[in-house]
Amino acid sequence: MTLLTPFSKVPELNTATILLVEIEEQLQSKLADVIVHYENEFNVNVRLARKLPLPVENKESRPRIDLIVFIVNLLSERSLQSVESSLNHIHSDYFLGKVCFLVTDARCGSYTQDRLASVRKLAASHQCPVICAEHRTADGIHAAAARLLSILKMSAGMSPIPTTALYLSTLTRCSATSDLEED
Amino acid sequence: MDEQTIFVLRRIFKKIPSRNIEDLLKNWNCLTADQLRALDYTRPKWTLVENIISFCEERRLNMKHITNLEMINRIENPDNDTWHSCQLVEPQDDALFVELTQFKEQLKAYLEGVIRHISIKIKKHEDEALWIRIAWGDNFSKPNHLKPTYVVHHLHTSYVFICNLMAKHKILLYQALVVSTKHGSIKDAHLSNRSLTAMRTLLLRHYQQVFPNNHSMILDEGNTYASHPCIEKEHAPHEERRDQLASEAFGDSPTPKLETAVYRLETRYRGNGKTTLSDKEELFRGVVKFSSTSLLHSLRHCVASGMVEGPVTPLLSAITQKGRNYFVITDKGPGVSS
Repeated sequence: MTLLTPFSKVPELNTATILLVEIEEQLQSKLADVIVHYENEFNVNVRLARKLPLPVENKESRPRIDLIVFIVNLLSERSLQSVESSLNHIHSDYFLGKVCFLVTDARCGSYTQDRLASVRKLAASHQCPVICAEHRTADGIHAAAARLLSILKMSAGMSPIPTTALYLSTLTRCSATSDLEED
Repeated sequence: MDEQTIFVLRRIFKKIPSRNIEDLLKNWNCLTADQLRALDYTRPKWTLVENIISFCEERRLNMKHITNLEMINRIENPDNDTWHSCQLVEPQDDALFVELTQFKEQLKAYLEGVIRHISIKIKKHEDEALWIRIAWGDNFSKPNHLKPTYVVHHLHTSYVFICNLMAKHKILLYQALVVSTKHGSIKDAHLSNRSLTAMRTLLLRHYQQVFPNNHSMILDEGNTYASHPCIEKEHAPHEERRDQLASEAFGDSPTPKLETAVYRLETRYRGNGKTTLSDKEELFRGVVKFSSTSLLHSLRHCVASGMVEGPVTPLLSAITQKGRNYFVITDKGPGVSS
């Protein structure tokens, strides 16, 4: 099994790479468009994938990936299952602040609350942040892109402030499982 | 005009929405220009219909004109009833040389020879389709114009589309079609749908088909829309492959608007022996029905978007490949349905 590792490649100058993983391919291309047009301080490469592991053929041409974003559509069970299986193909170094979950459709329907709870448990057990996003409006996508970019800036070491992804992840990681269990 | 003609006329107008009446009357061309002008289409439908009936009486129209009106309406709105398709097989050597007049004469002669009271009307539509309206009677009663059978056939093709056919008339009509088109026999094509247009495009292969081809992959690469140079798709080749598979199985969009597909299961459960189902001797029977406003489009989307993994199962691709939407699945895979 080929694991995706964060430190096996040399980073490119002034460039950060973000990998968006979404099985249904609804949000990722819209989000990618916004991300590349939004950021103008440094170069952002966006890689789109449906699931992990990534195809071996692209291994050489693929740059170092600084942030992996799993997009979970709460209306679909399959989306969550695919993310769960994809998590096995990442090296544990990524969980030091280089993985985050983006959740959509959190306000729709009654099943979504259970799924949201399981996403949060999953995130908490992997020490990752969970971001809720609105994907039906342009504003929502802009907001999500801005938040992802600020995490990417940390994890790719682009931030002028002396802080690290590891330090940020201790602040942003999802730890809300205890209050969910009480409900 | 006698009582029955007026009754039939009323029944015809009952099924037509008010907004279509004006155009229909113009196409019918049986009322004078003055009469058409005198009709007020903003009035409630029943007063409008009463006016039309009184005009028809003035013009002394008979049942022939009325059936003509009904045919015009059916040809304009072919997607309002359930149609079944049949396939003519075993063509004779001269089947390709059947002419329109010859076909008409033979069909009429055969049916009139078998049933004394029958009304047959054949009309050729602009798109080369023959529309045949048959009102059945028997030796003692007059043709029933309230429930006519409609048959649509394109000469020199092997498919016939039939709507509203009663079981007792089936054998007569089938025989008449076989004789007049010079074929050996006719069989059910197992395709039925509300939209005649979709059935015709599917069976006569008038939709955009994609054939398995190694070169099409290269062509597709040129067509991919230009995205930002910083965005790269990891699964891009897979995506193209999926799209190709979907197009091969269900055609390029827009696909024919098929509404249902029915699979009748007569299979045995083959598990790994842990359940009691596999012990039973008798067959497992069930019906699986897929329905959608545009079934082929939905299936195509499922494959193209990657919701369904792997190659398309022959059970689904058979809908377009064999042009049918009713299957019986026996124990040895898809079999011939009864």
